[in-house]
Amino acid sequence: MRISQYWTEALSVLAANRTRTLLTAIGLIIGVMAVISIQVLGVGMSGAITGVLSALNDRTFFVLPNQQQTDFTRAAIKLSDLQRAKNEVPNVVDAIPAGGQTLRARYGHRTRRVTLGAQADELYSATTPLRYGRKLTPDDIQQARHVAVLSDKAAEKLAITSDPTGTSIRVGEHRYTIVGVLNKSTEGIIPGPQSVEVGIPYTTYEREYARGRLIVFARVLMADPALVTKTEADMQAWLSKVKGGRVEYQTFDRKTIAKGIDGVFGVVTFIVALIGAISLLVAGIGILNIMLVSVAERTREIGLRKAIGATRFQVLLQFFIEALALSAFGCLVGMVLGIAIGAAVNDLLIVKLSGIVAPIPWLRSIVIATGFATIVTVVFGTYPAWRAATLDPIEALRYE
Amino acid sequence: MNDSLQLDTAERAAIDVRDVTKTYDLGDVKVEALRGVTFTIARGEYVAIMGPSGSGKSTLMNLLGCLDRPTTGHYFLDGTDVSTLGDDALAHIRLKKLGFVFQGFNLLARTSAMKNVALPLFYAGVGTKARNGMAATQLREVGLGDRMDHKPSELSGGQQQRVAIARALVNDPAVVLADEPTGNLDSQTSEEIMGLFHQLNEGGRTIIMVTHDEDVAGHAKRIIRVRDGRIVDDQATGRG
Repeated sequence: MRISQYWTEALSVLAANRTRTLLTAIGLIIGVMAVISIQVLGVGMSGAITGVLSALNDRTFFVLPNQQQTDFTRAAIKLSDLQRAKNEVPNVVDAIPAGGQTLRARYGHRTRRVTLGAQADELYSATTPLRYGRKLTPDDIQQARHVAVLSDKAAEKLAITSDPTGTSIRVGEHRYTIVGVLNKSTEGIIPGPQSVEVGIPYTTYEREYARGRLIVFARVLMADPALVTKTEADMQAWLSKVKGGRVEYQTFDRKTIAKGIDGVFGVVTFIVALIGAISLLVAGIGILNIMLVSVAERTREIGLRKAIGATRFQVLLQFFIEALALSAFGCLVGMVLGIAIGAAVNDLLIVKLSGIVAPIPWLRSIVIATGFATIVTVVFGTYPAWRAATLDPIEALRYE
Repeated sequence: MNDSLQLDTAERAAIDVRDVTKTYDLGDVKVEALRGVTFTIARGEYVAIMGPSGSGKSTLMNLLGCLDRPTTGHYFLDGTDVSTLGDDALAHIRLKKLGFVFQGFNLLARTSAMKNVALPLFYAGVGTKARNGMAATQLREVGLGDRMDHKPSELSGGQQQRVAIARALVNDPAVVLADEPTGNLDSQTSEEIMGLFHQLNEGGRTIIMVTHDEDVAGHAKRIIRVRDGRIVDDQATGRG
């Protein structure tokens, strides 16, 4: 009595009932596929975020009134306050108004509404590549030059297809010389300063747009980004003191946001994988059901097998291996599809968007998915096999 | 009388049934299907067991086939007392010492004649090659040497029963048990199957056949008649 013969027997039974086999296996296929691909995507996504974060040399954080403030006018920050912060808060190099204004821009014969915002040289991280020209320089800032760096979106809006550096663009009341055009950021999955379509030196911005206006949302530049936590606290306390302790402020930096997103992805991955596991459980019940049907249908056959001398264990083994073979088929197909989908989405979406190739734990994902599927099959496949094994041969042979 | 003496006599017969009773406990009622049956069947005999429905002949057949155990009494099959064996031990006895032929053939559909015949050898642990060889030999013996790869649906009723007979013989059993073997066959095919049984018996096979058909029973050399759980008649037919 060799086990391989039971496998041959089981496979021929499954092959003889192709439609039923396929329909029963679909549950397993979907379950295994989902568990593998979701894990791969979760890890890929999380790896991409971590990768982008480590490549990020972000020396800025945002400050704004605490969201519980009811009166934003009173909480608003004056430009002069921001300028004073440079000297009075340690580690703060500069503080500039954040956000932007939507203005009409004219380039050549084309007129479009764009977002104009204040930028500093440090704000463009290494992950934002240039298409043409250069980024803003410390010199631009110091001199408050009338220069602008366009985002890829602005270039698209204004139909700029060839190198525009040196030409001029009119935004609102002012003219700026275009010094550079940015490429699409690979930080696409992390919110950044990319909402600004036309970036001008913040010194220029302050002089032309922010003077005498109330600022609610500010960006702070630090000398040493490692001290971000302390600097954020200092900045909050300082602003609160300036406002006579009547207003509270909050800060956030992109790393905190990214960490939050990463955490959310972890939870989402876990929950979706859990749903996949539940679908595997349901698939197991499907196997239980179809194996019970199979045992009922083949009652006479079981009776015959017992009459000609099959022991209870041999009959049990036969039906158990049949369930296992069904499960192995489902696992195999689900595995191939899961890997294919996981790899495709990871390569075509995550890696393309982030530029980061995260190490994917293929083996772990596969072992978790197929392992769980196998446990489910063993649990649900045993009962029908036991039912078959304990049939009374006399009754079974009489069964119509 | 001591036990070893009993065994000595038991060893001489293929089947030795001693004062066997079978009572089915249906809760409120107890049905006495067999009320004390004693007989022996020697090796090489060809016996028909007859009786109307409800007479206990099916119960007797199940006991002889080691599918069930007697309530009291002893049953020696080929020298072994099988009346108190457990399920797996009985399965082993069926595998080694008995061959079954059923009214409805009971062949596995979608399975070739050869694989059907080889099935008992599968449970006996015979390797695939040896199994197929033995099955092929047995199929040739029942006249189906040219039908080995046919599935049951591609065979006539008579041919299917021949496959079933080959399957019953493939493990070289001490006794062949046939339960209404011609019940599903027309009279001409029945004659052919009876001819085959006769031929097997001539070759030395012990055959026990349960039937309610006098003509069929007439092919046997001895008829045991059962009624109300007792043997009411047991005599030679004068054939052979």
